[in-house]
Amino acid sequence: MANYHPADELLMQFAAGQLTNALGIQAACHLESCSQCQHKVRLYEQLGGDLIDISSPVDVAPDAKSKLLAALHQQQATGERASIKSAAELSLDAFYEEQLSQANQRLPKPLRRFVPEYYDNLPWKGLSKSIQSYDLPFSDEQYTARFYKIAAGKELPQHTHNGNEFTLVMSGSFADLSGDYHPGDFVLADHSTHHQPKAHDKEDCICFAVTDAPLKMTGFFGRMLNPFLR
Amino acid sequence: MTQSTQSNAQYLNQLVLQVAQKNEQAYLELFDSCAGRLKAYAIKCGSNPSDAEDLLQECLLTVWNKAPQFNPKTASAMTWMYTIIRNRRIDLLRKEKPNLLQSFDLWPDGHIEQSQPDDFTSSDLNDDVESDLNAKSVRILIESLPEEQRQIVYKVYFEGKSHSEISLDLSLPLGTIKSRLRLAMKKLDNLAKEQMTWLIIILLTNF
Ligand SMILES: [Zn+2]
Repeated sequence: MANYHPADELLMQFAAGQLTNALGIQAACHLESCSQCQHKVRLYEQLGGDLIDISSPVDVAPDAKSKLLAALHQQQATGERASIKSAAELSLDAFYEEQLSQANQRLPKPLRRFVPEYYDNLPWKGLSKSIQSYDLPFSDEQYTARFYKIAAGKELPQHTHNGNEFTLVMSGSFADLSGDYHPGDFVLADHSTHHQPKAHDKEDCICFAVTDAPLKMTGFFGRMLNPFLR
Repeated sequence: MTQSTQSNAQYLNQLVLQVAQKNEQAYLELFDSCAGRLKAYAIKCGSNPSDAEDLLQECLLTVWNKAPQFNPKTASAMTWMYTIIRNRRIDLLRKEKPNLLQSFDLWPDGHIEQSQPDDFTSSDLNDDVESDLNAKSVRILIESLPEEQRQIVYKVYFEGKSHSEISLDLSLPLGTIKSRLRLAMKKLDNLAKEQMTWLIIILLTNF
């Protein structure tokens, strides 16, 4: 059970369907295993329903109803055939899906479409021996999404952040001045955070990090490393 | 919550349950009572009128197809339809911007859109009690939020605005926006806790 959770504002944006980006995937991964946040999101979804409930209707196109019925009847007419035809396809899809997911089925569901392998077999890129990264394919203009692997017992260079860095611990654990973080924990660092995360001794720590601005390293080694982090 | 909104919620639940039985008459009634408000949601989210009509069609077709999975114990009909139109909206946006994620990526199990009885860890009894409370409480809250807080909640839900964008929109300092939203969230949070407290009390008195 996670001890650190996304802010309520973020969960509300998620429930509002307004996080169709790396942050949304990250929130979805946390939610998969956090019943406390699931409960809140359900509450905010209810709030969404209530916002529709209390709103004033606008006029719909005069032919909207007949168009809908036509579409429905068309679907019913072709539906039988389509479903017979797709039964075989469906089982084939399921088969491939199962094959594909063998390697990554221990990942949270929202990541499986994007990450082909479990952590051990990913093509990590070395920034140094103690920290490696894997770029996630759903970064956009605003957010960069990556896995970071901090080697057991190693410390990241001290750094601050130009923007926000949202970190979800996936495996292993790390600590910094403000806490001890375990799988499922969701941590936000902003420009006022000056931290030096250190992975615990027993195993590598894998984090899913979403940043909205590049890291800014402050120590000597940090300055040397910084170009590689871009 | 007044008697009429309570019975209206039950009326919608009944309609969706009848739609699940492929009842076209109920489907048309559902259209009459919700289409205008569902389209209003699309417009508030920034759709032009013609995209809003498309979203409405997609949403209502999905309602027909997924009605058998509607479970009034998990969510009210309006909440369930909200999750459907929210997700269809995301998927329609994606057609224009292919790098956007699909709703499937964010809600891989469909959550309440197609919740199965075993979706949640709580027992059936839990679900009963909880949904009963769910059905009553939040609307009281949204109606009791002061206009200044409601306005910000609206902007989060419909416009997807960040705090700083809302602050520009309303020409108010960022700090004011944050504290107003925090107040609204706190009310919601208290409400959630209250729900949990009632849930525990009811469960205890049932044993
Ligand atoms: Zn949580």
